[in-house]
Amino acid sequence: MEDQGFILASYVAAFGAAALMAWRVARRGRELARQLPEEDKPWT
Amino acid sequence: MTAVTAGASESTTTASVRGATGTGTTFTRWLGAATLVALGALAVLGLVVSPADVVQGESVRILYIHVGTVWVAYVAFIVTALSSAAYLWKRTTSLTWDRIAGASAEIGVVFMAVTLFAGALWGRLSWGAFWVWDARVTTTAFLFITYIGYLAVRDLGGSHRQRARRSAVVALLAVLEIPLVHFSVKLWRSVHQDASVGDRTSDVTLDGLMLFTLMLALGAFTLLYAWWLLHRQRVLAMRDALDDKGLDRALAERRTEGVQS
Repeated sequence: MEDQGFILASYVAAFGAAALMAWRVARRGRELARQLPEEDKPWT
Repeated sequence: MTAVTAGASESTTTASVRGATGTGTTFTRWLGAATLVALGALAVLGLVVSPADVVQGESVRILYIHVGTVWVAYVAFIVTALSSAAYLWKRTTSLTWDRIAGASAEIGVVFMAVTLFAGALWGRLSWGAFWVWDARVTTTAFLFITYIGYLAVRDLGGSHRQRARRSAVVALLAVLEIPLVHFSVKLWRSVHQDASVGDRTSDVTLDGLMLFTLMLALGAFTLLYAWWLLHRQRVLAMRDALDDKGLDRALAERRTEGVQS
């Protein structure tokens, strides 16, 4: 039983961190993109 | 006149719609979709489908996370060092290299934190303790702290060029710790297990599905790293561009004040 809790915790930590950081970087990207003209965003 | 105004308005609207997409492109959207599929498959295979280990039992499932994330952390720190070297090399002093280095280090630190956390959970099940002052565990923690220091050095202030130069030097020194971490299990007596895959002298044989799940973990986390790196370095590029614009505006205001007085 202890095994299952620890195993789940490791997956939740990895996937949770990935989801949180992905959401943060996408949100920050949208915030900054609104403040800049197209020539400062060569990937668009 | 009306046509010109309408054209300008249309252009502004198009720009704001494009701007709303942030750092995404068609490529990063496909990359993100591939990452989600790979991570979903890893969750199913790692938690349900792959078999338990004959020695470690169910706790082996933690190793798919532990090994996958430490692999990406190593890759991230090596990319940081290579990008830093590219920046310092006189022919390629583009700040893009510096931003790639910074973005990669940030991602590496997050992955390394997950590695240490998953390792502590595995250690509790296998060794009976969350933490032991073992050579591999201790050097890994030291590597983690070193890259937190690298990120702190990046935030010290100064111009973008100053930031890039000083952090590039730190990155080139910090990466030297990776061989120390990797070979620590051979250099010192260690409770941490040695490499099970890719070591020709090892007599460990891995079940086919376990090996596939492990390789899937490496692939899935590498895709995540690539997606994240592309987005993060674009965020850093926009942050630098806004800094430059703020500085330009402040200089213009100061010049205007000078002319008026």
